[in-house]
Amino acid sequence: MVALIGYPFSRAIWLSFTDKLVGYPERFVGLRNYIYLAQEDTFRTVVRNSLVFTVASVALKVLTGLAMALVLHATWRWRSFFRGLLLLPWVTSTVIIALTWRWMFDAFPGRGFFNSVLLDAGLLTRPIAFMATPEGAMAAVVVANWWRGFPFFGVSYLAGMQSIPGELYEAAAVDGAGAWRRFWHITLPGLQHVMVVTILLTFIFTLNDFNIIYVMTRGGPGTATQVFATYSYEVAFNQLRWGRGVTISIYVVPLLIALIPLVSRHLLRERAA
Amino acid sequence: MRTGRLATVLGLGAFVLVVLVPFWWIASMSFKTYEQIQFAQSIYVPRPFTWENYTGLWLGTRFPLWLRNSAIIAGANTLASLLFGCLGAYALARLRFPGRALIARGLVVSYLVPPALLFIPLYRVLAELGATNSLAALFLSYPTFTVPFCTWLLIGFFKALPIELEEAALVDGATRLQALWRVLLPLAAPGIVAAAIFAFTLSWNEFLYALVFIQDERTLTVPVGLNLLIYGDVFHWGELMAASVITTVPVVTLYMFIHRWMVEGLAAGSVKG
Repeated sequence: MVALIGYPFSRAIWLSFTDKLVGYPERFVGLRNYIYLAQEDTFRTVVRNSLVFTVASVALKVLTGLAMALVLHATWRWRSFFRGLLLLPWVTSTVIIALTWRWMFDAFPGRGFFNSVLLDAGLLTRPIAFMATPEGAMAAVVVANWWRGFPFFGVSYLAGMQSIPGELYEAAAVDGAGAWRRFWHITLPGLQHVMVVTILLTFIFTLNDFNIIYVMTRGGPGTATQVFATYSYEVAFNQLRWGRGVTISIYVVPLLIALIPLVSRHLLRERAA
Repeated sequence: MRTGRLATVLGLGAFVLVVLVPFWWIASMSFKTYEQIQFAQSIYVPRPFTWENYTGLWLGTRFPLWLRNSAIIAGANTLASLLFGCLGAYALARLRFPGRALIARGLVVSYLVPPALLFIPLYRVLAELGATNSLAALFLSYPTFTVPFCTWLLIGFFKALPIELEEAALVDGATRLQALWRVLLPLAAPGIVAAAIFAFTLSWNEFLYALVFIQDERTLTVPVGLNLLIYGDVFHWGELMAASVITTVPVVTLYMFIHRWMVEGLAAGSVKG
């Protein structure tokens, strides 16, 4: 474990204090990388994009995950079949999902699903280039990421709902609580633990997501969808500035240090119970 | 009650549609000719139906080689992760030794450290070992995410088994390893299958490390190779779709058979979303 994670991680910290360029020996430069990035406009855009991408994806996943769990919970026949079917996006390769959604949003009617269907139905007269605008590109990557992730939320919440004792609902119904109040006062509190775990886990992984954005937009148009991981890759492997590239991902570490103990405490508590 | 059932059916229908449309779109495009795609003919169902994308992909690109590389890496990494995962999980679940809680915690933390943080330093480490640009780079780096994960998952399964069974075996003169191999492992089979599937899927779909560590086109894995098809030649749409179908089918088939176990694994391990 130490060799696999600890050693590379300590190398990362060391690299971030150097001006390592590929082909040149590294020189210690102190905090210069950190200061440079803090003042760079692109990096500020990257921070903003990462947060928009993450918060939008996680919020969508929670809402649709809840809806999916409620629907599956109410399904009275073939529930495990539908649960398996709806979980399919989650086992599919992210790269293929990203490629698929790129084609779905493609501006060419024959390749782009939305343009094909809208033109065919006569709702459009000419194709829309969905991913050519900054907002459109961001929306497209959020949709792809949401589609991949919401089934996991749905299945987790379903498991949570199934563990809430039925007597609670019966008692509430006797007391005259409507469906909405039962959802609000029984279901949501019952799901609290699993919601905290899924939200935190996904927040960490989405904030550092590389695959979907790299494959769909390469961070473009311009820097409209550039996030921590893609920008770090760009700086390290296209501009060959390793020191600075590593520093970009190290900026996320304080947030991780705050979040990881929170998640692992929840995960370990689940184990102990 | 009637409106409730109607709402459930409609909701379920909507979710099934959202999940299946993108799959159907790639599958149908993989059977269309270049002209059908380019000029938006027969949008919904490929007419005429053609296998030319599949033959073109198989004979005209390096796809078969990438498929072989992916299969080797995913297979070998699954075996290695199961081996280390079982031994590690057994130690953490059954043996009492100082630092056990700390290691369990470290396991969770290392599973949460995102690859986006480690890829640059790992690249340096691998370059110093002379392992970049070969499959060895992936053999060495993939365990960083599969071993902690499998161990974590298996601890849950091992702990759920009664300790008396092994104690009986130990009393009868079995060694610890024999007790693990003959008694515990057969009982934990569902957990081991779940861990194997997760390890296989994670390695089969991995993208960032393969992209960064390998430059030689013949040594690539499928996810990275697919991206090469786009940027190498823009006109390979049909072949790309065919490749996506071929890559997705093994994982989905595998999963169709055992999704019940996977869902159990999900509940036991709280998996990446």
